[in-house]
Amino acid sequence: MSLADPKTLVEYTATLDCIHCGLCLRTCPTFQLTGNEASSPRGRIYLMRGVAEGQIAGDDPTYHDELEFCLVCRNCESVCPAGVRFGEMMEVARDRAANSVKRPWSEALARWIGFGLVLPNRALMRWSIDLLGFAQRSGLLRRVAPLFGARKDALLAFPAVPPKSERELLPIRTPARGEERGEVTVLEGCVMPEMFGRVNLATVETLSAIGFATRTCGSHACCGALHAHNGELDGARALAKNTIVAFEGLTSSDGVPLPVIVNSAGCGAHMKEYPRLLAEEPEWRARAQAFSKRVFDFSEFVAAHAPADWAPRVDPGTFGRVTYDDPCHLCHGQQIRKPPRELLKRVHGLQHVELPHSEQCCGSAGIYSMLRPSDSNAVFEPKLADLAETRADTLVTANPGCHMQWDMGLDRTGLDVRVVHLAEVLAEASRQARSTPTEPSKHEPAELATPRLHEPKAEVR
Amino acid sequence: MDAPWIAELRALLGPRGIVEDPTRLFPYEADGIVLLRRRPELVLLPRTTEQVSRALKILHRERVPVVARGAGTGLSGGATPVEGGVVVSLARMRDVLELDAVDRTARVQAGLVNIDLSLACSKHQLFYAPDPSSQQACTLGGNIAENSGGPHCFRYGNTTQHVLGLVIVLEDGTVLDLSEPRVDPLGYDLVGLFVGSEGMFGIATELVLKLLPKPATTETLLAIFESLDAACDATSDLIRARHEPSAIEILDKLTIQAVEASVYAAGYPKTAEAVLLLDIEGSEVEVANTVAGIEPLVRARGAIEVRTAKTELERKQLWAGRKGAFGAMGRIAPDLYVADVCVPRTKLRELVAHTTRIAREKNLKLATVFHAGDGNLHPNIAYDRRDADEVRRVLEAGDEIMHLCIEAGGSLSGEHGVGLEKMKAMEWLFTREDLATMCRVREAWDPDRRMNPGKLIPIRACLETKQAVFRPEHATGAAKARDER
Ligand SMILES: Cc1cc2nc3c(=O)[nH]c(=O)nc-3n(C[C@H](O)[C@H](O)[C@H](O)COP(=O)(O)OP(=O)(O)OC[C@H]3O[C@@H](n4cnc5c(N)ncnc54)[C@H](O)[C@@H]3O)c2cc1C
Ligand code: SF4
Ligand code: SF4
Repeated sequence: MSLADPKTLVEYTATLDCIHCGLCLRTCPTFQLTGNEASSPRGRIYLMRGVAEGQIAGDDPTYHDELEFCLVCRNCESVCPAGVRFGEMMEVARDRAANSVKRPWSEALARWIGFGLVLPNRALMRWSIDLLGFAQRSGLLRRVAPLFGARKDALLAFPAVPPKSERELLPIRTPARGEERGEVTVLEGCVMPEMFGRVNLATVETLSAIGFATRTCGSHACCGALHAHNGELDGARALAKNTIVAFEGLTSSDGVPLPVIVNSAGCGAHMKEYPRLLAEEPEWRARAQAFSKRVFDFSEFVAAHAPADWAPRVDPGTFGRVTYDDPCHLCHGQQIRKPPRELLKRVHGLQHVELPHSEQCCGSAGIYSMLRPSDSNAVFEPKLADLAETRADTLVTANPGCHMQWDMGLDRTGLDVRVVHLAEVLAEASRQARSTPTEPSKHEPAELATPRLHEPKAEVR
Repeated sequence: MDAPWIAELRALLGPRGIVEDPTRLFPYEADGIVLLRRRPELVLLPRTTEQVSRALKILHRERVPVVARGAGTGLSGGATPVEGGVVVSLARMRDVLELDAVDRTARVQAGLVNIDLSLACSKHQLFYAPDPSSQQACTLGGNIAENSGGPHCFRYGNTTQHVLGLVIVLEDGTVLDLSEPRVDPLGYDLVGLFVGSEGMFGIATELVLKLLPKPATTETLLAIFESLDAACDATSDLIRARHEPSAIEILDKLTIQAVEASVYAAGYPKTAEAVLLLDIEGSEVEVANTVAGIEPLVRARGAIEVRTAKTELERKQLWAGRKGAFGAMGRIAPDLYVADVCVPRTKLRELVAHTTRIAREKNLKLATVFHAGDGNLHPNIAYDRRDADEVRRVLEAGDEIMHLCIEAGGSLSGEHGVGLEKMKAMEWLFTREDLATMCRVREAWDPDRRMNPGKLIPIRACLETKQAVFRPEHATGAAKARDER
């Protein structure tokens, strides 16, 4: 353990914001599981403060375990009257903790490969997912899974890699349908194109349907959210800078930077917080601020900008009864709750019911479901009962991690509910509205853009 | 420590039912009042009455002191661990066991969080009335131990009026079932006696509670004042005129500002000196009449604006703001000292003037919220526990406020209990005989004084000869400083 001042091991001043009122206990998933004060937000902050004030060693294994047990769902922030910035405190504490212990070599290697190589690199990500898909299909995965010890089940439960045809990157530019009302860029993401290419397409399609042309940002892959949440702040900062630079180049024809539309709640929440991440680097502060102001969640943007005459509609049989599960980093991280619901309500023919406890974490929590599979399942468990209570046919989410968690969980239990991203509902509803117009549509069908090939072309950079 | 009895507890409760790791024990040091701290030796997290009983049998045999803990939101050090003591946390006993919508009763485990009961019975149009501001967090068992109140207790009465029966595990592990029959108690009212016993008579594990039908109509009224005194006067006026709101709360300026800066921002005007928040319940006609009667009264006292909540959402927000007030003070300083004094309503104004003066003299930041209807006020003093001198001034101010309150014919605590924090002040209010009687009652429940020892009744006053388990020299610096005075 280093001899560093323990006050630097956590965000000491931020820990002082906690007034120990306990209002955050009941909604914390890990406190619900254990009833243990140390596994509550108040307890974790108490531990951090204990570290800073020298009452707990910075390399104390129990302290580290409590840091890792936390899902960073940030539910505590939504209920904390004192305005405790828990997510931020956790990122810092985990980052310092990562420096103060030695991980087993296998774990260190896995982290280095995952965070350092695969996430930020589109080609490597693609190759890894290819490999996974091959292992799934050939049965190889079953044979090698036991090598991964406790993570075996999580690995086996990983959703099937979609067919190549669904793993398309987005076109560089997609025009608006009908009259162009504006232009935006879309964050394609690291895992999204590989596991949820169809969601990216639906995102673009919806934006196009409401009159926005979309552009993508070339080879840019990763915003660094997973790095930040998992105590890799240096990596996160580097990726944040890359992201800022990459998107600074995307402006309208008269030089105005374009809005950045994000369909992954975790990434959106993180990108909105770049100014804080880069706060100690004066030369980046202003750029980070300017960038974060351009970031919008998909639902936030569509709800605010859809024209009055956009009338999405579906045949009641398409999705059946739908319910919406708030991704933590949308409701707690970005305080966005209404727009997704407003949009669902706007879809004619859709039956929307509320999901009880929709703001409780599903246990996906970035890579948590891989790191602590049994805790992740335990957190997920009550969500299933809530879902069953709604008798919904379709569950709508707005984040890839939650999407996979639900896919895996439903697979396990055999509950027949389809999981879709909000964008998929809206794209489909826009499509159906076009094919069965209630009144002659004013919009002309746009020509479909040519899909871009996988290797980003040099000129895009 | 690895004594055989600990192994027994381990076997009884399973790995998640016992906390032994010193790091995990650390956050159990304190409840809602962090000035008083002590790390417990062990924490137990039982799930059933049976487990509590068997655990207490072991602890009885080993003569280990026991402190019950609900959510640890108490504000008088009731759940602060004691030397050599084990904490029995009810946090995993949170099931609703029975809900009878016709009898309007619920049987619940004691660790159920207050609000979860109201949520559970809401589909039957019922609710559980006592609503402490901590209701999002505090347990019903803790409420019973403290006889907690809340804004709406002005109309409905404190916890004690809503408890029909209890299952209690006594200090030796005996299970005392006072949950049946649910009609008026015959003989001594043991349930009534237990309520407010601050964890010293035993551990309540199951509670039978009264549920009430939700009022047909509720109107929430916010009156905005340019002076705190005017808000106090308006309260007296409307009570004099026999208007009966179900809750009468006042928030002062600093509190309003803190709330408005928080996630519970309710739309209180930040420039107001005080707001008066009222809930009026009943039939539609009744409510309309009461509102019509109240409005001119508060305006006559100088309310610059009077508004009613337009929607249920707005109503909820106005109340969430009030209930988040304590936590919101976290924006002003790291710690908060919540005094909890009670005076006859007509003396409110006078006491407010005194508390303001005291805070000014001692250079302390004071924000006050009132359950004005009950004459219960919480002068909240924001401080930083790392600043020894400030801590000293806070505690002095707390003492002075309590003295003033006694002089005004009031009481030491409206609802937060005595615990460790106000123990010494018991001697200011009660005679030796009073205290000795309390002590004898306590010994009838717990002859060894092993349950939550060293709290509530000052040791000297109690003429206790046996060695006290809690020794001030082991207390934290702050408590020690206090004791020395
Ligand atoms: C933000 C905030 C607002 C508050 N507002 C109010 C308010 O409006 N009105 C009010 O009255 N109080 C209020 N309080 C104080 C506190 O919430 C109450 O005293 C509450 O009842 C304590 O419940 P708890 O579960 O946290 O109990 P704890 O703090 O854990 O314990 C309190 C006492 O009860 C004993 N105890 C706990 N469970 C049991 C059991 N099952 N059997 C026997 N003894 C037990 C403990 O030993 C201890 O002595 C507030 C506190 C906070 C932090
Ligand atoms: S709600 Fe906020 S201030 Fe209260 S204990 Fe939790 S983190 Fe601390
Ligand atoms: S982030 Fe989520 S899991 Fe972590 S302490 Fe807060 S509420 Fe609990």
